[in-house]
Amino acid sequence: MAASDDDALQVLSGDDQDDGAYSSDFEEEEADSGEEEADLDEEEGDFDDEDEEDEDSDEEDGAADGNVEANDSANHEEIREALLDYIGNGNAGADGDEESDDREAADESDSSEDEAPPRNTVGEIPLEFYKDEEHIGYDRAGRKLKKQARKDQLDSFLDRSDDPKDWHKVYDEYNDEYVELTKEEMGMISRIRQGKLPHAEVDAYQPYVDWFDWDGKGHPLSNAPEPKRRFIPSKWEAKKVVKLVRALRKGWIKLDKPKEKPRFYLMWGDDLKVNEKTANGLAYIPAPKAKLPGHEESYNPPVEYIPSEEEINSYQLMYEEDRPKFIPKKFDSLRHVPAYAEFIKEIFERCLDLYLCPRTRKKRLNIDPDSLLPKLPKPKDLQPYPTTCFLEYKGHTGAVSSISADPTGEWLLSGSRDGTVRVWEVQTGRCKKVWDMGGSVFCVAWNPNPALPVVAIAVSNDVVLLDPEVGDEEVQLNIAKLLAVQPSTSEPTENTPLIGWKRHDKLRGIQLSHQQNVVRVSWHNKGDYFVSVSPDGNNRAVLVHQLSKQQSQNPFRKHHGRVADVLFHPARPFMFVATKMHVRVYNLAKQELSKKLITGLQEISSMALHSGGDNLILGSKGAKLCWFDMDLSVKPYKTIKNHKEDINAVAFHKSYPLFASCSDDLSTHVFHGMVYSDLMQNPLIVPLKILHGHQKGERSPSGSSMLQSYPATSPGVSDIKFHPTQPWLFTAGADSVIKLFCN
Amino acid sequence: MCSDLSSSQVKQVKNAVKAAKRKLHTGRRGNPGNAAKYITRNKALNRLQIKLPEFRRLCILKGIHPREPKKKFEGQNKTYYHVKDINFLLHEPLLEKSREIRAYEKKITKARAKYNTDLAHRLQNNRPSFTLDHLVKERYPSFIDAVRDLEDPLTMIHLFATLPADTTHSVPFERVHSCRRLSLEWQAYVTRTHSLRKIFVSVKGIYYQVEVSGQKITYLTPHVLNQVLPEDVDFRVMLTFAEFYETLLGFVNFKLYHSLGLNYPPVLDPRLEQAAAELYALMKDLAGGTTSAPLLEDASAKEDDAPVSVDEQQSLMEAENKEKRIAESQARLASLQDRLKQIEKEKEKPQDDLETRTCRRLFQNLTFFLGREVPRESLLFVIRSFGGAVSWDGDGAPFPENDEVITHQIVDRPTQGHKFLSRHYVQPQWVYDCANNRILLPTEPYLLGRIPPPHLSPFVDNEAEGHVPEYADTIKRLRLAANQQLAPLPGSESGIDEGELLVAAAARRREDLEAEKERELAAMEKSYAEDLRRELAGKSFSGEEEALADVPESEVLPPPKEDDPKDMAKMMLSRNKRNLYQAMEMSNTKKKEEVKLIKERKRKADEKERKKKTRTM
Repeated sequence: MAASDDDALQVLSGDDQDDGAYSSDFEEEEADSGEEEADLDEEEGDFDDEDEEDEDSDEEDGAADGNVEANDSANHEEIREALLDYIGNGNAGADGDEESDDREAADESDSSEDEAPPRNTVGEIPLEFYKDEEHIGYDRAGRKLKKQARKDQLDSFLDRSDDPKDWHKVYDEYNDEYVELTKEEMGMISRIRQGKLPHAEVDAYQPYVDWFDWDGKGHPLSNAPEPKRRFIPSKWEAKKVVKLVRALRKGWIKLDKPKEKPRFYLMWGDDLKVNEKTANGLAYIPAPKAKLPGHEESYNPPVEYIPSEEEINSYQLMYEEDRPKFIPKKFDSLRHVPAYAEFIKEIFERCLDLYLCPRTRKKRLNIDPDSLLPKLPKPKDLQPYPTTCFLEYKGHTGAVSSISADPTGEWLLSGSRDGTVRVWEVQTGRCKKVWDMGGSVFCVAWNPNPALPVVAIAVSNDVVLLDPEVGDEEVQLNIAKLLAVQPSTSEPTENTPLIGWKRHDKLRGIQLSHQQNVVRVSWHNKGDYFVSVSPDGNNRAVLVHQLSKQQSQNPFRKHHGRVADVLFHPARPFMFVATKMHVRVYNLAKQELSKKLITGLQEISSMALHSGGDNLILGSKGAKLCWFDMDLSVKPYKTIKNHKEDINAVAFHKSYPLFASCSDDLSTHVFHGMVYSDLMQNPLIVPLKILHGHQKGERSPSGSSMLQSYPATSPGVSDIKFHPTQPWLFTAGADSVIKLFCN
Repeated sequence: MCSDLSSSQVKQVKNAVKAAKRKLHTGRRGNPGNAAKYITRNKALNRLQIKLPEFRRLCILKGIHPREPKKKFEGQNKTYYHVKDINFLLHEPLLEKSREIRAYEKKITKARAKYNTDLAHRLQNNRPSFTLDHLVKERYPSFIDAVRDLEDPLTMIHLFATLPADTTHSVPFERVHSCRRLSLEWQAYVTRTHSLRKIFVSVKGIYYQVEVSGQKITYLTPHVLNQVLPEDVDFRVMLTFAEFYETLLGFVNFKLYHSLGLNYPPVLDPRLEQAAAELYALMKDLAGGTTSAPLLEDASAKEDDAPVSVDEQQSLMEAENKEKRIAESQARLASLQDRLKQIEKEKEKPQDDLETRTCRRLFQNLTFFLGREVPRESLLFVIRSFGGAVSWDGDGAPFPENDEVITHQIVDRPTQGHKFLSRHYVQPQWVYDCANNRILLPTEPYLLGRIPPPHLSPFVDNEAEGHVPEYADTIKRLRLAANQQLAPLPGSESGIDEGELLVAAAARRREDLEAEKERELAAMEKSYAEDLRRELAGKSFSGEEEALADVPESEVLPPPKEDDPKDMAKMMLSRNKRNLYQAMEMSNTKKKEEVKLIKERKRKADEKERKKKTRTM
């Protein structure tokens, strides 16, 4: 079929192209092809895509069967139509009509020229070949076609003048004749000359109509037969259906939607057990509950809960975090209460707290703070202890810097910044003696040996030993002997002595001149040795002096820091040296460091030793009091922060279990400090009494004159001492008063 | 490429060695350190392979919170979680589910993008759903655990119940609706069991304290006014909380209803629901214990007089016929219920504790009518919880305003046009104050148009706080008087006329006393008797009051004694204890300062009043 189709196309196209040479064969060929088509059509009847050609071929078929010769023009017309169809000429119908009406007109027209059989059959050869011949070629039957006589100029002129249409005529060389051009042909020529399409009726730009009807045709070029599988039911589908049916029958597939379970159900049983742990094994920390509202949050709070205007204004001055977040307000009626603008925000903040705040369990002590206080024995049960001010010793004009009681308890020695040292009768408050030392007195110390009533006084750079002139005559004589400077002692030692023991002319005592200020003097219990401390003396800061031999020695080659205080052990050959932060205990017999007490204090100001020698108390500039039990540890047994300001002095009672501390805050604290002979029992410390009464003294400027006022006097209670036998306490204040507190 | 591989392998080996070493290390030490126990948030995110919002959501739902390690090994300002918590999250089915949902959402968007509307529609309808039931059970293994943690949920649910459904903040209306429903169910349960204990109308909202299974739950509800949704609040967080709380409260409600032998969820009367009286509808559904609810209520509840639009009226006309039938059947039902109630009551009585009984009887024989301007839901809740009968001005009211049985009309307006002489016209605060104090207070100070006495917080222990407001004292005396059935004190300076109501209340109280023999009250009696005796002896009451007032004053300012044993003992404190002591003292003094300030204000106010009085005299 494809081949025949091609043939038909070829034929048609050939017909279109060639003028006359093949036109005679055309009919037969056309007929043949038509027959072939018809045959094929009979064989396979239903090809949709070739409908048009079928129709054509049917018609042609009919024509071929009937009168082949007679229906020349009809045939011709059909072919034309086909041709016009093929090239898509819209004016085909009109053309056909015209031609069927007038056969001659059609022959003479340019289109009929192609179909008119040419008379000359020489073919397309150059006509020069026949130049010298009498004929120009041959007709169909082979007869010579004679050349016509050529018209000469005249004839042609005559013709032109005779016939007005003569210029319409064109000479046809090939057939050797004049052809008269029709009006249409003339028009055509003129259109060609104008550069237009020759046929006026041809629209070069008409809309394109596809030559093939594509719709619903599938692939136009496939002529594969429809496969069989398109016509039989699918096996796989059947299988699937069987499966589904089976599943439906067996109830595997439920067609209706599953019934909605009730959203809530009984989740918990009746057990009221409380779980402390979460499911992941960690302890459950419930979120703290919101605080319950108080009266002030009421819409109608009592008047006392509503802050006044001034108070509200004063909130503005507060720090933002201190400012109350909620200001109570009163509404006269419930209907006046507006919506709380912060409601959602507060709940949102609560939400944030719930999921963003780290939670830890914290014990909140909702207890009376007093329950934290230790249970102490009542001070009443620990009597006697000094409670009330019994006597005041007045006479000094400057701050009293130091006091010391005589071992019998009859006399009290006091040194003051006004440069005097006084001896008082304890019982009466009478001032027995006044020495003018000529410089500010830092420290006074009465010899603890009752047989040797000698006092040591530290006055600026000197230590002065004086006779207080108490006691009977024998004693007086003894002392006079002691205080007489032995010139012999200084001579045998050839090298320069450490300290010169010189006679103090004015006061008839001995003067030991140091290189630096002496701030502390303390006696050994037996009364022969005493030690002086001059903190700025570097390696000569601590000097031990022997009264009987009138000798001085420097037991230490160097000190670890600034020495604050030095004490002798009451019974054993030990010496306690307090530097700024540590207390070093030296064994004097072995000449070695025996212990180093780590105090943890900022700066030690004073030191006192229990009569047993195993317990030591320290007062510090940081207002702390330390009790050391040296049998126990080198660290404090107890640190008490009792004062508000620096502690100036601490003191132990010789026989009663009492100790005390005094401070710049004008108070003196009396403690019960019981040391048990049983080593297993720790000392008992009970605060007993806070003694007040001193006035604030003036702090002397330390910078103005170093010599006069070194070290700076404290403004509060500067020194305390216990009475050697009675539970009484002497306190010396910067207000130049000495007080005696009795039980 | 080859070098890359080898380097990565080397890294792996190194990591393995490190891990082994760590294992060895921790193994030797015994207990793992902070670094092994805690994990920072970002690391947790990496481990869980989720984004922060998802993590946040999971934490909220799962109740996981950050913890405070002793040593913050990764820096101070990082959030630390316990590793166990994070591992717990890692095994949470919800995590997998959320991934699944996310994938599913992608499918839907894809289908939409391809204009495959069918598929998109189908996918949208079959979205995978999830429930939080297992989380509730996991977080609260027993019921009592859940009840203990109910404060936040109730506050949140009550808030969401009043929120407008809002698209800009994506508050879905379903959530609002369900929250409203849950809150009403909760209130209905509370009413039914008379377990409301305290009410406090604050500026922030109304606090309710409810006692359920022995646990006191205090929650806050906003005033029923339009809530403005603030812009700086992340509603996603709020909604996640609400989502969990909703589930939790649902299950709690179920359990509570179950314990009463009621069906859950209760069936709402659609008509009452429409009339915005859902609470009443629910209460009616549960109305078992309330003997005071008369039959009349049910019948007259059907009266409806407010429809505005025409078509609504028509539908109502149709409904009326139905109503009649319903009313009949309901009457029958009610009579049945009455019989059931009697049986129930016999069963129930011994179970109720003293508190519940007093609460139930407070408003027992009173009938209230709520004006249009008062917060209906709150008052309905309170009055019904304390055993009163209520109606209101509006749709679905059980009985009309002109009903003779009404004893109290709650109004909150400057003037009232027509007044029934048989009623007390009181302000809403009267109801709250009565409920808090468990006695019927004299209505006079609360009458229409007056400024009511101060509304005191029932959550404050005045004695412990150090300052007793004047009105609290008055109330205390009234209570004692009511408990003893004694005439009010002649010398009471408050000048409040205790009316017949009080006497009636006192009489009832005496009956109760006889029946119940309360020990506590007896003790109070004793103290009161002592007071009386003292008064008879010649001291004036007010004088004693002053004396009483003096006592705390002396506490405030102890005269500086020379020898305070406390000072002595304070010396002996160790540093830690001293600091603690000082902190405690500081807070105590701060509190005392506050009380002092309040007392000062009170004194000033009193002075002002006195001056005014003398001036007018």
